[in-house]
Amino acid sequence: MKALRQFGRTILAILRELSDENAYSRHLRIHACANTPEEYRRFQTEHFKAKYQRAKCC
Amino acid sequence: MRHLISAGFGITGALALAGIAINRGEPVNSMWLVIASSCIYIFAYRVYASWIAAKVMALDDRRATPAERLRNGHDFEPTNKWIVFGHHFAAIAGPGPLVGPTLAAQFGYLPGTLWIIIGAVLGGCVQDFVILFCSIRRDGKSLGQMAREEIGRVGGFTALVTVLLIMIILLAVVALVVVNALKGSPWGTFTIAATMPIAVFMGLYLRYLRPGKVLEISVIGFLLVLGSIFAGEWVANSPDWAPWFTLSGVTLAICVIVYGFAASALPVWLLLAPRDYLSTFVKLGVVILLGVGILFVQPQLQMPALTRFIDGTGPVFAGDVFPFCFITIACGAISGFHSLISSGTTPKMIARESHALPVGYGSMLLESFVAIMAIVSACVLDPGVYFAVNSPAGVVGATAEAAVTTISGWGFPVTADQMAALAKSVGEETLFYRTGGAPSLALGMAHIFSKGGGGERLLAFWYHFAIMFEALFILTVIDAGTRVGRFMLQDLLGHFYKPLGRTSWWPGVLGSSAAIVLSWGYFLYQGVRDPLGGINSLWPLFGIANQLLAIIALCVGTTVLIKMHGKKYLWITILPMLWLGTVTFTSALMKIFSPHPRIGFLSAAEILEKLPVQTEATRTLIFNNYLDAFVCGLFLVLVTTILVDSARQWVGILNGSRDARSTETPFVQTALTPEEI
Repeated sequence: MKALRQFGRTILAILRELSDENAYSRHLRIHACANTPEEYRRFQTEHFKAKYQRAKCC
Repeated sequence: MRHLISAGFGITGALALAGIAINRGEPVNSMWLVIASSCIYIFAYRVYASWIAAKVMALDDRRATPAERLRNGHDFEPTNKWIVFGHHFAAIAGPGPLVGPTLAAQFGYLPGTLWIIIGAVLGGCVQDFVILFCSIRRDGKSLGQMAREEIGRVGGFTALVTVLLIMIILLAVVALVVVNALKGSPWGTFTIAATMPIAVFMGLYLRYLRPGKVLEISVIGFLLVLGSIFAGEWVANSPDWAPWFTLSGVTLAICVIVYGFAASALPVWLLLAPRDYLSTFVKLGVVILLGVGILFVQPQLQMPALTRFIDGTGPVFAGDVFPFCFITIACGAISGFHSLISSGTTPKMIARESHALPVGYGSMLLESFVAIMAIVSACVLDPGVYFAVNSPAGVVGATAEAAVTTISGWGFPVTADQMAALAKSVGEETLFYRTGGAPSLALGMAHIFSKGGGGERLLAFWYHFAIMFEALFILTVIDAGTRVGRFMLQDLLGHFYKPLGRTSWWPGVLGSSAAIVLSWGYFLYQGVRDPLGGINSLWPLFGIANQLLAIIALCVGTTVLIKMHGKKYLWITILPMLWLGTVTFTSALMKIFSPHPRIGFLSAAEILEKLPVQTEATRTLIFNNYLDAFVCGLFLVLVTTILVDSARQWVGILNGSRDARSTETPFVQTALTPEEI
């Protein structure tokens, strides 16, 4: 049961990484600010600039 | 004990593989492929990859990785190894491992299966692992930067040109796959068209309503996409709406080109990013669903182990099993593109050096398994149906009767009634001439899914679900790829006229977007108009380009191994590199000079030139054949350049005339605690 819970947590963590939710949490932590629409826009601008300059695989 | 378990996996895998290879004349269950591949993957991981990690790379967990040393909370961040594994796998898994094996199934299931397993274990996984290791030891540098440092300026420049060329051919060929899947299909076209407003809604929701709640909106978006599949059936049956979504190949190609331009120039948060989230989750979900489906249904393979088309006369694409099987299946066995990911985001997230083993080698094994599932999906179809769907009219005849007569004459019986009934059961007008691999893959997947649940009643839903899944992430490759191509072009043009390099200068953005879109759009249009279906000429070009990039990556890896150990371990990367060099050279030369017009571009142009009546369309075809021959020739020049330049380096290092100093960053003791990983 414990292993199953751990597996579920890992899957959720992977999904949060893929959805950039972890990256946003880190962004909020580093800049010590709250989750607001303005902050999220700032995060998107910074994050997407780097993310979408890289090729997607075939 | 560990060695005994590994040996057990190895022996089981070898026996299963031998069973598949030797068996003739009776249907094989797909589980043989699943057992053979998984046992060999586990054996290779536990023995070969672990040996490389311990003896060759000497991975050291006491050494701080770039993620720790350069930690900035953005791209450099030590991350749990399973999260990095998921992230890396999601990044390397594209349409390639699904479409390539489906097309190569024309040779039978055996050549593709052998190449996927052996190519991955000895080539693809090694390439991804070695490049990831090299990048981790070099502050997370990119392949281009490492090529410049390890091989020289020529290597770096060749890598840049190759990536740009691959992008153009890749975008054209995947766009062609989507166009061929959607032409004349109002159901599919409506579903895919609906994903665009859904993505825009997701973007606005994230931006203004619930900032940061990506998982939440992705679930909503997925439910809306499922709703659009049901709505698509209604549209297809509506006499008023169906004509609006029943589009020809040319119209669809223009729509995709316009979409690529818009997605490249629009703000990322509005369309590209939400689609990317959605397609990533759908892609992972469907891959898992397909794996579970195959294990649960255990379908029989209908395709023989080898078909008569190993002689090069195949209708799906022309060319002998050697070398064309090895460039048709790229991503499932070895893909140069992966080296860009292994030297991109991933090395900046690795917390411990030992994590490079499951992430670099293990992710590629999983990708290879996806390719095995794709070949299973294609081979569970009745071979007659497979060839009827994947053969262009130019090869099998322009009417249903002509097509079934030709295909049945090859020894794969199929009837027009059978095809009509199948088309009706999946909600399509016809399934003839759906080249590109996507529709036959969707049919195979629908076959497996419907047996797992819903039966024949849900066949149409599963077919369109599979088409939606393929088109969704292919379109994400197109919009993201066009954007990346635009950045690369702007970067290049910025050297000649500074404002062109600025990504905020709108004339530069629009001009460079248009240039990239028109480049791949031209090849797409050429493919749509090609009487041989387009895939015949474009997919081999893409395969050659992709394997060329793999050669560059393996050259970088070989240089690093020589600097580390002299000639002791260079065989690890040089053997797959020599194989790929042979494959790429042979296929490129055949594509240019083969006397068979379905293979050789020059002989095709020559035959067209001899036609008594030269129409505008004929002249365009002649030009296109010369253009394809030129592109192929350019690839050959690039391969030769990189190989000669690398060989000079290696000889120089080995005889002491060149600098053999390592470019690794110096050792720094890690300060990360286990809780931080």
